[in-house]
Amino acid sequence: MTGGQRRPRSGRGGFSPGTDAGQGGSRQRPDELGALLVQVALGDPDAYAAVYERTAGQVLGIVLSVVRDPAQSEEVAQEVLLDVWRSASRFDPELGSAAAWVMTLAHRRAVDRVRSEQKAAEREQRVASAVIAYDEVTEAVEARLDRERVRRCLGSLTELQRESVTLAYYGGYTYRQVAELLGVAVGTVKTRMRDGLIRLRDCLGVDA
Amino acid sequence: MRRRSDLHALAGAYAMDAVPEPDRAAFERHLASCEPCRQEVRGLREATAALAAATAVQPSAAFRQTALRAAGQTRQFPPATAAPPRRALRRQGRGRRGWRPRLGVALAGAVACVLAVAAVVAGISAYGMHSRLDQDQGHDHAVAMVLGAPDARMMSAPVATGGSATVVMSHRERALVFTAADLRGLPPSESYELWLMGPAGNRPAGMINVSGGGKMAGPMVVSGLSAGDSVGLTVEPAGGSPRPTTPPVVVIPLTG
Repeated sequence: MTGGQRRPRSGRGGFSPGTDAGQGGSRQRPDELGALLVQVALGDPDAYAAVYERTAGQVLGIVLSVVRDPAQSEEVAQEVLLDVWRSASRFDPELGSAAAWVMTLAHRRAVDRVRSEQKAAEREQRVASAVIAYDEVTEAVEARLDRERVRRCLGSLTELQRESVTLAYYGGYTYRQVAELLGVAVGTVKTRMRDGLIRLRDCLGVDA
Repeated sequence: MRRRSDLHALAGAYAMDAVPEPDRAAFERHLASCEPCRQEVRGLREATAALAAATAVQPSAAFRQTALRAAGQTRQFPPATAAPPRRALRRQGRGRRGWRPRLGVALAGAVACVLAVAAVVAGISAYGMHSRLDQDQGHDHAVAMVLGAPDARMMSAPVATGGSATVVMSHRERALVFTAADLRGLPPSESYELWLMGPAGNRPAGMINVSGGGKMAGPMVVSGLSAGDSVGLTVEPAGGSPRPTTPPVVVIPLTG
């Protein structure tokens, strides 16, 4: 993988500062996106375009956080979005929100790409915690509120919980790698990840 | 041997895709039999979705165009029927439910053929995203509704003159999807015609279009089923006939 350097968000090539498209916050009414996915499953291209508008920015964003390399990230994000189209009929609302379904597809693919990379050493360049940097660019109020809510809730975690969660989720590290990076026991990291996510879940008030 | 408490403890790491093989497979096996764990993972995934959303960026117009175009050129996976078709093979392995797209239950060849045809039809329809024929999309929708119905059942039977016929029907939809494979070729003056044969008589249900090499016929949607109906296929003059003029080459009772 080439280049571990982080570029400031507003300077990312190819992504013009946006207002709303693609930056819909995580707090979409769950019914809407799920209902759209049902239409997508029936082959409705307009429904897919609507799903794109609501999810593409988040998909690309999390992939960029994990994969870093812009070209590879675009590739992976395109694969994810195509996956959403192809497997829309497999979305089961009983198993969680449509947003969680899409982001799970995205995060998994991003992590798979990273783990298949040979040069693990270069990944240590990344500063995963800087992902939610303050963004000077104008963005949809809802998106900004979501960011702030996440930042605030992450702030309510202990430092070790926050580090474990950040390294794992944004950094794409396995729990053993996190243990190594933080110099703590594997069992401790597992607990921190779980407790940290539980606290996050409760702080965000997202449904189980 | 992994202790249960160890496995529970992995829920957080798992929800963040931070559990590599072989631990991940072990945890997923555990998940299959632990409903509280599944609940917990579901809830934690809602939290990670929020983490993901916080990193949203604005993709370029070119990125959008690529994504929409790719979808237009890609076939979708068909839905898996919730109720196992009567003669289908049982699903192999543990009953996995989850985020990963399932590639479908292990199906008898005929049902796989029906679904494959439906998927191809859906794919072709999706290819022209601005489809000129609303008919095509209505047809695909009707096929999908039957195949996706929770009470969908499959029945198949050999055709007396060669090939096989398969029906997937749904009582709830009061409709069925008919396909046939390897039908004996007919001269241009003749065609296969489909019938609903019931206690009150025989109703025409459409002419079968046999594609290219005669490999697959249909899928055809027949709706308005009544109690006691069977589906039958006869050979008729090319333009069809209001009444069967030859004995059926296959009859499939729509029982239940």
